Order: sequence, then structure tokens, then C-alpha cells
Amino acid sequence: MSSLLKISVSVLFIFFSLTASGGDPYRPSAGAGEAGTGYVCIMKNGFWSSFHNQATLAYNNSFSFGFNYQNRFNISELGTRSLGLIIPAGKASLGAVYSHFGYTDFKRDMTGLACGMKLSNKISAGLQVDYFSERTSGEYDNIQSLTCEAGLLITPSENTRIGIHIFNPVPNSLRKTFLPMSVRVGAGTYLNKSLFAGVEAEMSSGSRLIVRTGFEYEAAKKFWLRGGFSTDNNSFSFGLGWLVKIVQMDIGFVTHERLGVTSSVSLIFKIR
Amino acid sequence: MNENEISNVQTFVPFAVKKGFSINSILLLLFITTPLFVNGQSEKLSETITEVAEELAADDSDPEAVSTFIERLQELAENPVKINFSIEEEISRLFFLSDFQVKALAEYVHNSGQIVSVYELANIPGFDRETAEMIIPFITLENKLVNNSDSARWRNSMISNLSLKSGNDDTSYLGSAWEILTKYKFTSGGFSGGFTMEKDPGEKLISGDPPLPDFLSAHLAFSGSGLIRRIIVGDYSARFGQGTNINTGIRRGISLTTPGYMSASDEIKPYTSTEENKFFRGVAAQFSAKNLELSMFFSKNYSDATIASSSGSENNYIENFYLAGIHNTPSLLNKKDAVSNLAYGISLSYNIDNLKVGLVWSENRLSLPVKITGNDPVKIYDFTGDKNCLYTIYYNSLVKKILLFGELTVDDNNKHAFVQGISFRPSDRLTINFLFRNYNPGYTTFYGQGPGTGSKTTNENGVLENFTFEAARHLFISGGFDIQHSPWLKYRCSAPSWGVRQEIKVRFLPSEKFSVDASYNYRLSIADNAENQGIPDQEKLITRSFKASAHYSVQNNLTLGTRVDFKIVNPSGSTGMILFQEISYSFRKIPVTLWARYCLFNTDDWDSRIYTYENDLLYSYSIPALYGEGSRSYIMAKWKIRDFAELRIKYGITTKVTNGKSGENADEIKMQFRVWF
Repeated sequence: MSSLLKISVSVLFIFFSLTASGGDPYRPSAGAGEAGTGYVCIMKNGFWSSFHNQATLAYNNSFSFGFNYQNRFNISELGTRSLGLIIPAGKASLGAVYSHFGYTDFKRDMTGLACGMKLSNKISAGLQVDYFSERTSGEYDNIQSLTCEAGLLITPSENTRIGIHIFNPVPNSLRKTFLPMSVRVGAGTYLNKSLFAGVEAEMSSGSRLIVRTGFEYEAAKKFWLRGGFSTDNNSFSFGLGWLVKIVQMDIGFVTHERLGVTSSVSLIFKIR
Repeated sequence: MNENEISNVQTFVPFAVKKGFSINSILLLLFITTPLFVNGQSEKLSETITEVAEELAADDSDPEAVSTFIERLQELAENPVKINFSIEEEISRLFFLSDFQVKALAEYVHNSGQIVSVYELANIPGFDRETAEMIIPFITLENKLVNNSDSARWRNSMISNLSLKSGNDDTSYLGSAWEILTKYKFTSGGFSGGFTMEKDPGEKLISGDPPLPDFLSAHLAFSGSGLIRRIIVGDYSARFGQGTNINTGIRRGISLTTPGYMSASDEIKPYTSTEENKFFRGVAAQFSAKNLELSMFFSKNYSDATIASSSGSENNYIENFYLAGIHNTPSLLNKKDAVSNLAYGISLSYNIDNLKVGLVWSENRLSLPVKITGNDPVKIYDFTGDKNCLYTIYYNSLVKKILLFGELTVDDNNKHAFVQGISFRPSDRLTINFLFRNYNPGYTTFYGQGPGTGSKTTNENGVLENFTFEAARHLFISGGFDIQHSPWLKYRCSAPSWGVRQEIKVRFLPSEKFSVDASYNYRLSIADNAENQGIPDQEKLITRSFKASAHYSVQNNLTLGTRVDFKIVNPSGSTGMILFQEISYSFRKIPVTLWARYCLFNTDDWDSRIYTYENDLLYSYSIPALYGEGSRSYIMAKWKIRDFAELRIKYGITTKVTNGKSGENADEIKMQFRVWF
């Protein structure tokens, strides 16, 4: 009975907390830095951004890997652990990401293999193949799904960036289990050397339109302050990041008007 | 009317289908992989034009208006206007320009010489970048008059469309689910001709006696520059003045923020559309001598109608006209061409400097009388009898920067339609328009359409005001307000009623490659409250919508577009929203262009539905009404086969989500082959 209650609560929380997850609950909302800017990140370079929009992978020129932990509403059963890896390969970069959500009785895993490359000076594109697995204890069916996501990044000028990302553009008639589809479109600009601001719109099938804004300010050398706002549940977010030699540390917080605060922490290692 | 009925009548919402996965898979593969290797060029219509098309599609009262509008645009695209000839009549084919703009463009070419680049258009007085962008797809800068041997050469073009939509494969229909359209046209010197054949979904390919396609239209025309301006034998359309007497084309006053819809020039032109009831069939001629212009027409056409007979009598009468043009069941086929409509008339106009005055007389005779059945008070003013005669006087006058135009039409029953407008341009950056109309209840015109909000030129008084303003170098603001009053009852409103339309639109065009549009729309109408029993009371229906879109040409051959819509409907409070991303590309090495769109939508119900214009085949269109939750995507490819042929294929799919799970899928496939020789 306890397990059943936990499962119900978990599922309920997932659907109540889409803001905190940055969209639909199937994709991992990895990246404490991204959380700090309210997940306005599909047009911005960054380690975890590369898994929000694979086109930005093309701008990751160093071998790097990272860990992320997200503690949703301070409930350990709703925690998400993520691992990521980026390998530069000539004009392209390859990426891999793994994410685990849940606890013993309810688990949701995602594994993705991604590739991003520059098509021209202004355009880069990326593609990721995803495998989802959802396991529930007891008599519930386990679910597996294979899908993909793709993104474009356009840089009309040196300081301006436009990002477009489509998740799961696959007619659901092709699979047994339903996966939501989503589109994210955003634009951002460096207002000066230290300040980046962006706006993003996202819509998932079966959900309402979400508009987000966020900024990142380099307050000191290699030290960033971040903030953001999302129309979904009027969620505010803030965070900070610090790069020390090859290690970048980020923390981020996202509020929910009813459910409290989701905190994230991530470590990124840039080897070369 | 429930959702299904509405869909059957006028929308283009695809229905459920279960098809093989191969096409889906191809779509998926293309959708995912195309951004990686292609580049492109769009046949991009101005945002203003697509907005007008969407507005027309949303107008339940006039389901054919959007079809006519799109077909006129496509005719223009196929036969672009030669603006460098500096002939007002030719330029006025750009029907969305105001008289100001038509005259300004003709004068500019006359005084400054031929236009060598489309970028020059924005510098013409009365034009701006927004207008220039709007007309670019429909003009040519061709500046050579073809010599006699060239002009006498036969030029032929033929186009054939095949469309299949899920939901049209009802086995009770008489014919196949395919929609088929074929058009042929030739020109040789001043002569032209052609035919159009169409079969709607569910209709028989060949029917009737003699056996003919469900819709067949043909014409032969001669155009000259002397006394005889035009002679047409066969099917033709006509418009005189403001159209309250004769106008088988597009009605004016549709868009609040496109002032070009305010005025019009007279025309008789071959009919090449597929709307099955609103055109003339017979002979028409247009003569011109000095400042005098004379048009005469004679037509005997057949209209679809429901025929009934009085009890105890063998006298038949027309119960109502059937305008949908679909004949896919035996009962609908019985309505086809049930009554003949004899129409004839004369239009005479005279130009004195900046003043043009015209007179129009027309008469219609039906083979059977129209009778009102039942006691519905809505019908009290409806037309009865078998003859209708209309007399019109109209004028327009351009004095410096002020354009005045007006029209009065009176019918046999002394009911009148009156239009008066003024358009003035205090500066090159500002245009302001006012339009007043007064159409009596009971005023009847079979082939007329005056400016207004409704499809029928009757039972309406109203004032429309709008402006366009170039606020800054890259910033354009336009707005409009329309208030109309119906002094008598109308469909779904059992009391005199009124309505309001308001719109404000801002365009920002910082560069040739980038544009941002934002608009706010407000609509108020009065309708019966269907929930209450007994004598219905009325309630205000208020719709507010906000739309924002951006287009960006990354390269000459790659264009991206994004749009967000939000809509709220009161008193129900239902909301709707969409987000879509579209992309178009042309391959550099092969003559292939691709268009693709991915759209997610979420609306509470049918009332908060959102219409979205899609790229489509020539002489076909798609403006689906998106409602519920789900996604709509399509991909279309165009392959130009050397200089003599073109192939287009489009595949679209709508997926609905129900209770958080994938619901029904509805898909469609369209093909087009076009050849010219």
C-alpha cells in the first residue's frame, strides 16, 4: 500500500511540476546552470544546453563530462540524477546523456546519443536518438520507447542567437506507448560582454504554451549570476556558477507557486 | 450546428485515418533529416495576406469567400501583373491595393521610368516595405512588349490536382474520395481560352445528362486596346463600382488593417475558379471610347436549389438555394442545377478629369419563383418571386490626397444599398479610411456583394475606420475599427443585433531578412443563448486573440518562421493557443523546394479554435481549424522539371491527444502536375 501511495504521489507530482522539469516529464531537465536561467537555454552554449538543443553541441570543442542532481521539492523520491559526456570529433561533436528519475518502485530512465555539427557560419544542427524506459513495481506494465529530437541554432549576428528544438516529431500511431511531442523556440542576445538575456516559448502536446525569460550575468571573472521567470505556474528561478580551472560548479533553484522549490547542482569537467 | 456539421460545411479539418506507416515514416525521416542537408527558398506570402485568408476561413457565414480569395491570388501568381507597363487597368489586378496605390504606381513608372528592382517599390509614394513585400509574389518587372510573332504564339498551360483526405471515404457517397481538379488555359495574341473541371470528394467523376464532370467551366475571350476592350463567351465574372449590384469576386472591407480592400475598379474577366454558383455563363463585352466605358452582359446559368411544390398544386417553387457546391449524395445531386437564372445588364461609366461616374442596370429572372415557407420571423424580408431588378449609380473622385467613393443601388421593392467612403493620405506615411454602408433588410442581389462583414449585402448598417502608419523607418502600425448593426433578425440571433471588430497590428522589419509581426484582435457579436428554453435571450460573444510571428531568411534558400497564437472566448472563458515552427528550403543543385511545418495546439473547445494558413498546391488551399489538443504537421515538395513542368506533393497529418494519450490521426495527401508549352 505504501508503494502504491508513493507511486501515485510521484506521478501526481511529475504532472504538477512541469515547470520545474522544464517541459514534459519524460525528458530530463538536466543542468543547474540551465535551471538558474529558467531553462532558457536552447540558444545558449553550455554543457547541459547541448542536451536541450543538440545544435549547440557543435560549439562544445572540448572533451567534457558532467554530473547533475536535481532535488525536486526536497522530496528524495522525486530526485533526478544525470550523466553527460561530450566528445569533439572534427566539425561535429558527439554527446551521450543518461538520466535516472525516481526510486525503487517507480523509475524512469532515459539514454540519449547525440550529434551536432555546424552546417555553415550561421547555422548548426543537431540530432539525438532517445531511449526511454519506465518501470513500476507490482503489476503495472513497464514501458519502453524509442524516439528522437532535433534542433537548429542560428546566429544571425555575433551577439544574437536563435534556437529551435523539436522533441519526438513522431506520429504516436507508430508506437504503442504515448510520448508527448514538443516544440521550443527561443532567441537570445548578449546585451554586453557580461550579460546574456533570452526568451523562449515551449509547447508540448496536451499542455499549454509556456513562455520563459532568463538572463546570465558574469559578475566577476568566471563567476555567473542567473535568473529567470516562466509563465507556467509563475515560476521564478535563480542560480550561480563558478569555473575553477577545469571544473565548473553550478547551483540553481526553481520555485513553484504551490509545491515549493526545486534545487539542482551540477559539476562539469572540461578536460581539454 | 455541432462541430461535425460545421466541419462538413466549411472547414478543412482532416479526419481520422488509418493508413500504412510508410508515408508517416518518410515524413518523419524527411522532417528530422532535412535541416541537416538542405537549403531553400520559399514562395512566401505576406503575413498580411495569410491573415486575411485565415480571417475568411473563420467566417462561418461565407464559406466560399476564402476559396475565391486564394484562387484570385493564385491566378495572380501564375499570371503576374506587369507593373512596368504603367497601365492602371493592369496594375488594378492587384486587388488588394487601394486606388491611391494603383494610381501612384502607374504615375511613378510613367514619370520615373521602369522599375528595375522590387526594392524600389517601397520608395513609391503611398507604398512602404510592407506593401512592397505583399505584392512581390504577384508582379513581374518584365518590360518588353512582346512582338507580334511572339504574342501570336500559342501558349498553353495545364494543371491537374489530386487530393485525398481522411474522412472523405464514406461509402454512402456516390463517388470516390478523391478530389480532382484540372485546368487548361491558352493564350494567343489577344485571344485566350480555357476550361476548368472539378470533382469534389464523394462526387461522381461524370454525372448527369449529357454525362459531364460535376463542375465544368469554359471560356473564350478577346482583349483589345481599341474600342473593343474585351469580349468573353462562356463563363465570366464581373464587378462594377462597389459591388452592391454586381460583384462575383471578392467583397470589400474584409480586413480591418488592409486599407486596399476599400475600393475597386470595374472589370469583366474570364471565370476560372471552382466556386459553383457565383458566376455568369453567356456573353459579356466591354467597350471604351475616349472617356466613356460601356459593359454589357447576358447570362443564363443554372443554380443549385431545393425545389418543393405546394400541397394540392403542381406548381413548383424554390424553397432555398444550395450554395455549398457538394453533390456527393443522391439528395444533394437532385439539387444540382435545379433552377435557371437569367441575368443581363449594362454598365456605363464616364470619366471627367478626376471624377468617374457610373450607372448600372441589371435584371435576374429565375425559372421558378422563390417562396417563404414556415413562420420564421427571420425570413420575413427574404426575397420572394422570380424577378429582381437593380439600378445603381456610383462615383469615385480623387482630389489631391482625398479619394471619395460612393454607390447607391435600389431594387424593385425600393429597398436600397448605400455605400459611402473616404480615403485620405495626410502624408506619405499615413493613410486613413472611413466607410459607411447601409443595406436595408429585404434588399436582394443575386450576384452582388457590397463591402461589409457578412456574406449577404442586406440587413446591415455599419461604419469601418482604419489606418496604416509608418511610425519609424522599420516600424509599421495599422489598426481598424468596425461597428455594424443589423436592424432585423438574422441566423442564430432572434433580435436586432450589433457587432464590433477591432484590430491593431505592429510590424517590425529591421532588415530584408527578418520580420516580426504582432497583432491583437477583438470581436464582439450577439447571438441567441442556446442554453435557455422558450423565447431565446441574447448574449455577447467576445473573442480576443493575440498573435505574434517572426520570419527569418537565414540564407537565400533557407527561411524559418515561428508563430504563437493565443485566443480567449467569453462568456465561456475557453482559451486556445498554438505554437508552430516552419521551415522552407531550396536545394542548390537540384530544382527542388521543400516546405515543412510542425505545429502544436491546445484549445479548450471548438469555440477557441485557431486557423492556420498552410502552403499548398496551386489552386488548392489548406487553412485547418485546430481545436482540442494535439499536433499538426506537413511537408510539401516542389520539383521543377526543366522549363516546362512542375510536380508538387504534400503530405499532412493531424494527431489529437485525448486524456493524455494519443488519440486519432488524420492525414491527407495531395499531388499536382503542371505543364506549360
